[in-house]
Amino acid sequence: MISVVNVTKKFKGVTAVKNLNFNAKEGEIIGFLGPNGAGKTTTMRLLLGYLTPTYGEILIDNLDPTEDRIKVLRKIGYLPENNPLYQDIKVQEYLKFISEVKNANNLQQVIQQVGLSEVVSSRIEELSRGFRQRVGLAAAYLSEPPMLVLDEPTSGLDPIEQDRIKELIIKTSKDKTVLFSTHILSEVEDVATRLIILNRGEIIYDGVKPKGKGAVEKLFKRLIKTNDNIVI
Amino acid sequence: MFTLYKKEIQYYLNNPIGYIILVLFGVFANFLFVKDIFIVGSASMRPFFGVLPWLLLVFIPALTMRMLSEEKRTNTVEVLLTLPVSETQIILAKVLALTTLIATGFLLTLSLPVSLAILTKLYFPEILAGYFGSLLLAVSFISIALFFSAQTKNQVVAFLFSVLALFVFLVLGTDFMAGIIPKDILDILIYFTPMYHLQNFIKGVIDIRSVFYFISLFGIFILLTIVQLEKRD
Repeated sequence: MISVVNVTKKFKGVTAVKNLNFNAKEGEIIGFLGPNGAGKTTTMRLLLGYLTPTYGEILIDNLDPTEDRIKVLRKIGYLPENNPLYQDIKVQEYLKFISEVKNANNLQQVIQQVGLSEVVSSRIEELSRGFRQRVGLAAAYLSEPPMLVLDEPTSGLDPIEQDRIKELIIKTSKDKTVLFSTHILSEVEDVATRLIILNRGEIIYDGVKPKGKGAVEKLFKRLIKTNDNIVI
Repeated sequence: MFTLYKKEIQYYLNNPIGYIILVLFGVFANFLFVKDIFIVGSASMRPFFGVLPWLLLVFIPALTMRMLSEEKRTNTVEVLLTLPVSETQIILAKVLALTTLIATGFLLTLSLPVSLAILTKLYFPEILAGYFGSLLLAVSFISIALFFSAQTKNQVVAFLFSVLALFVFLVLGTDFMAGIIPKDILDILIYFTPMYHLQNFIKGVIDIRSVFYFISLFGIFILLTIVQLEKRD
């Protein structure tokens, strides 16, 4: 489904990601883990064609996101980092707009699924952070895309709301390929089936999520420490 | 694209800023014409169409300044550019929404020809040509202002640069420049100024070359805006 081959992205001389190589099959839930500035968001934006690789090739279902941007975007539901939303419109209006652009016919189903029924008539600026995150997720789920790319879906949320969002992702991600980025280790432990760790723009681990409580944290710290040659 | 257009129009329907700008435009436009009508002593809309570009110089940047700069500041531009729509559709939807608003502003000035028609006999084709030319001018101004809105995250900077750019375009076509720019150069530059091409419409003449000029001006700045939006690296 996803093929990333030797992808490098440079911004004005700064290398954000370097020699990325990974594949993703249908149905996988891949957690991208890494410290701030590791290149997680850049990787997500490259997959969507929002950014163009400086070198390398990306294919989503054999389509190049840069050349066939619109066809690729029809296959992906995306939650951007920090979940930017139009603040001055109602939830219903915003989701209706997204569903019309995506030619979706599951608007009401998504609103119920994500738990937004009680706030559909509220303006987005009036919502709590948790509900705004749900609006962003709902927008990603519209038109039932086969692939979800979620950039830090629980960022800034309290622990209870984090658990709710994690449950939502697990419940609604059946039969989908999900890539989500986070720097919260427990999120990967609870949600992902596969783990990719990035540090300083490079993949330093790509494999099965280690089993056991705290195993992800141990692996992460060991790898980052080795990679950075610093003491954590 | 219609969905994108609806979203843009909805912003102005849901917020007071659109209403305020349009009402102020209508009030100023009517006032500037009415204040001199009895001094001029001529039942003609030509003075109105002559002063209209100077009003649009301020009002179009005011309507346009947030269009892309606010999207960039709040990063909702990433939401738009990761939906299955092209950059061209996004820009054209914004242009269409702004054109709808300006056309609504023009409707608010229809009281002028209606009032004049009650007092005397008017030559309506000349008035229609004047409005048509002014709309073409407005659309080309929108494209210029949208271009500057795409350059910055700051609405005020977008507004100021748009006003400055439109001012330069307008002032180049005035007699004021005759004392500053050598005549040979001015004789060439004048063909590239909106005021020169608007004069035909004001006189009731729809010159295809002038239509082509406004469409070209619009096309150039829209293309530049689309290129700017595509530049995300």
